Amino acid sequence: MTTYPKETIKLLIDGNLPWDQTKGIVSDHKDEDRFDKYVEVLQEQVSWKDKILLRLSDDLFIVEKGNDRLVKCRCGHEYGDYRENWKLNALIHVRETKKELDELYPYPSQPDPKMCEVREFCCPGCGTQLEVETVPFGYPLVFDFLPDLDTFYREWLGKPLKTSKEFKDLTYDVVKKWAEK
Amino acid sequence: METIAKKQEGICWKGRKLKDLLGESERLYEETGCYYGLEKLKLHEDDPLKLELLFSRLLAATVAGREATRMISGSPLVREVAELATALYTAEGDCVLQSTGIIIHIPLMGQVIKYMISQNYEEVEGINEGDIFTSNDNAIAGMHPPDVYDICPIFWQGKLIAWAATVIMEAELGAISPGCMPSAATERFVDGLRFSAEKTGVNDEFLPSVIRRIRFSTRLPDLFILDRKGALGANVKVREEIKEVAQEFGVEYFLEGAREIIEMERRAQLNRVRTRTVPGKLHSPVAFENYMTRTFVPPHHAIDQVTLVPMDFFIKPDGKYFLDLDGAGPWGWHPSNTTPSSMTGAMCLALTQTIAYTGSANHGTILCADMNLPYDTYVNPSSPNIATQNLFSFPINGGSVWIGLQSRAFFSRGFVEECMVGSPGTALYSMAGKDHMGNDFGFLMTDVAGTHGSGAFAIRDGFSSYAIWQPVTDMGNCEIWELILPLIWTGRNLLPDGCGWGKYRSGFAIVGNWMIYKTPLLVFDCTPVVMADKIYPNTGTHGGYPAVGPFYKLVTNANTDELIKEMKPLAHGMGYPGKGDIEENIKGKFALETSRGVTMKDVSKHGDWIQLSYGSQGGGFGDPIKRDVKLIKRDLDNRLITIDACRKIHCAEANYDRTRDEWIIDDKKTEQLRKEKIRARLKKGIPVKEWYKNRRKDILQKNMPDLIKTMYNGSLEKGKRWPGEFRAFWGLPENFTF
Repeated sequence: MTTYPKETIKLLIDGNLPWDQTKGIVSDHKDEDRFDKYVEVLQEQVSWKDKILLRLSDDLFIVEKGNDRLVKCRCGHEYGDYRENWKLNALIHVRETKKELDELYPYPSQPDPKMCEVREFCCPGCGTQLEVETVPFGYPLVFDFLPDLDTFYREWLGKPLKTSKEFKDLTYDVVKKWAEK
Repeated sequence: METIAKKQEGICWKGRKLKDLLGESERLYEETGCYYGLEKLKLHEDDPLKLELLFSRLLAATVAGREATRMISGSPLVREVAELATALYTAEGDCVLQSTGIIIHIPLMGQVIKYMISQNYEEVEGINEGDIFTSNDNAIAGMHPPDVYDICPIFWQGKLIAWAATVIMEAELGAISPGCMPSAATERFVDGLRFSAEKTGVNDEFLPSVIRRIRFSTRLPDLFILDRKGALGANVKVREEIKEVAQEFGVEYFLEGAREIIEMERRAQLNRVRTRTVPGKLHSPVAFENYMTRTFVPPHHAIDQVTLVPMDFFIKPDGKYFLDLDGAGPWGWHPSNTTPSSMTGAMCLALTQTIAYTGSANHGTILCADMNLPYDTYVNPSSPNIATQNLFSFPINGGSVWIGLQSRAFFSRGFVEECMVGSPGTALYSMAGKDHMGNDFGFLMTDVAGTHGSGAFAIRDGFSSYAIWQPVTDMGNCEIWELILPLIWTGRNLLPDGCGWGKYRSGFAIVGNWMIYKTPLLVFDCTPVVMADKIYPNTGTHGGYPAVGPFYKLVTNANTDELIKEMKPLAHGMGYPGKGDIEENIKGKFALETSRGVTMKDVSKHGDWIQLSYGSQGGGFGDPIKRDVKLIKRDLDNRLITIDACRKIHCAEANYDRTRDEWIIDDKKTEQLRKEKIRARLKKGIPVKEWYKNRRKDILQKNMPDLIKTMYNGSLEKGKRWPGEFRAFWGLPENFTF
């Protein structure tokens, strides 16, 4: 079985592994214990103690907190149930002016803010830019990834989680209340 | 009685008929979930090395065939850009393996074979050793008409045991406007020269009538004919190798081995998914902009249309992929719809570049991906008469976004080295008029293939000058292109500040510069490929942005002769810090275009200029202010980014040291700039709840351009599940439309 030391995985995920070694990892058989080491390294890199169940993005994690599974930023800011789109609880800025778009696109080709929203989402806790959406004007917030955590842990890893949650997008329950008010 | 018995005997091994073999294969898969019902892999279990040897021999045959073709063809698309591939199929039309090259066609050439089986070619047209069947009819199968398939049966001891097939992309097809992907094609009747799974040759020679038809139907017939001969050469090479294999391993072993190779790949693909990803649901919308009022089409087709295709991508518990395009908007009379066949090609392309890249991708890979392509929509038009020049639109726009979605699953699982953000870029142009020899000509300029930047990776920057759908290509040599085109290459360089910003940036796209040479007449068409202009593809991930799109500049009535006489500078491209010398050095009438699928109105001649930034729109990865200053310095030193972008986007300060000719990062100031940026974000950002209420008001009051309203209405009308989700998200009445 292919396996790598935890230190190698750490260097790899931080983008610090020399290319010749990275290339070797790309070309070789995949290491079966990658996920365990990945989570171990990530857990060591955060200041809080909640158990990481899954890394969702560069700075967001799904963590276990009691019987809940929450989305949590590297800085510790919590976003709520992982089945709700975490963006609902982020800060948003939409680039709408020519000056703001020129900054990103200093050429004749640019998104048209009347047709395309350039939405920037940042963490209220640390100000990290967590995602950028470029979508048709008025498109609902994009729920990038809703993982089927129970299937993953139970059937793919063979390590069922202590509780189970329905694999269901709960975003609509939240926005329904917003629309009613 | 003997004659009747002979008539009933099929052409396949042991006298089986093609239809029976195909029917049996489909039934066995249905019953067992295994390809051809192979629940046990007997050959593999008995002697895995022998089966591996068979695989290697077959793979080597297809690669050798492809390379032989490059030596025969006269087209720069084949010789320089390598727009071709050769594959081996079972008698039933299932791909066993294929060469490197344009891998998108793995299942599609097999679909043509299956069409021939369904139409009973075995008895009606006849299938004999030495026959050649040619197809580029996308009502049957394919990505677009320029990809011409030549398919040859392989016989052993008088019986059909397999097929060899080669795809070559043609640069000229005799369509409504010159080139091979005209923006003006709105119906299949103007798609150009077409072969509908037609028998075009016997005894390893193309029929004189076919050669004659090519000569009278295309603007560059010699290239087209040479390509056919090249494809035939590849197929014959594969065929002869298969005969040797049948002799050496035994034909029964070959037949059974080919099936086991497919089943092994099917199992391997499911295993790859289960061991490298995380199951769940991923989502992104994709929009397509077709501006048909800006090309030359019949009045009833001159409609501008923006179409939405919401994309749900499921990674299922069993390791299968499922792409659900419910909510896809209506198809239209333009060249950029998509068909189920091309969607299969798209899936194949994306899989082979991202997860099934072991060199053994085949029919088994495709069996692991299902799709919902709603009928009578952009991704499955109900009319058989649609133009098919750009069935690539979803595969490139949508496929690229899909790659970013799959990367999220790799990322969550820990396989960060496999994550690549999408890059749907590419801008091509077709030209027509007189060449530099005085001949009428038309051509699709494809040195672009492989020249836009890739999306970023999760652990490093994206590739500059790269195209995912043609991973083994390069731009080709300018000198070779100049032999056949009335153009002089005056510069190829990377577009400074043109990347998708992020902690890791996307690759940079190329800017090409050409002086129009020794022609009295040349016109340009901005080829429809990626139909994104005003609505950028959603490719930035984890905090990164999509990169800049393409732009075309044409200068007519240019003062070039005067400049040359006075030995003054000409146009060579985007210089650092991103200032184009074309405006600075050339005087004339300037035209600018950023859309694809439209026509440049001005007619040019010798001494005029064209400049094209190919654009990448590839996504950046991660927060741009988290970019390592060492990487920022490298980009500054390489003149890929300006100090302006360095400060505004990365919030890093640097000073240029003239004596050392390098940039020195000011760490202290950088730290300060980044802290300020975070404060600014927290101040500028509003809670999403507040944004939601404002935007909901816009939706209820329908405050948006008509094109967008029509776009949503199309999806609300066509979709089954998605309209409910859209209305639920915005809290809209059940029957809400724009």
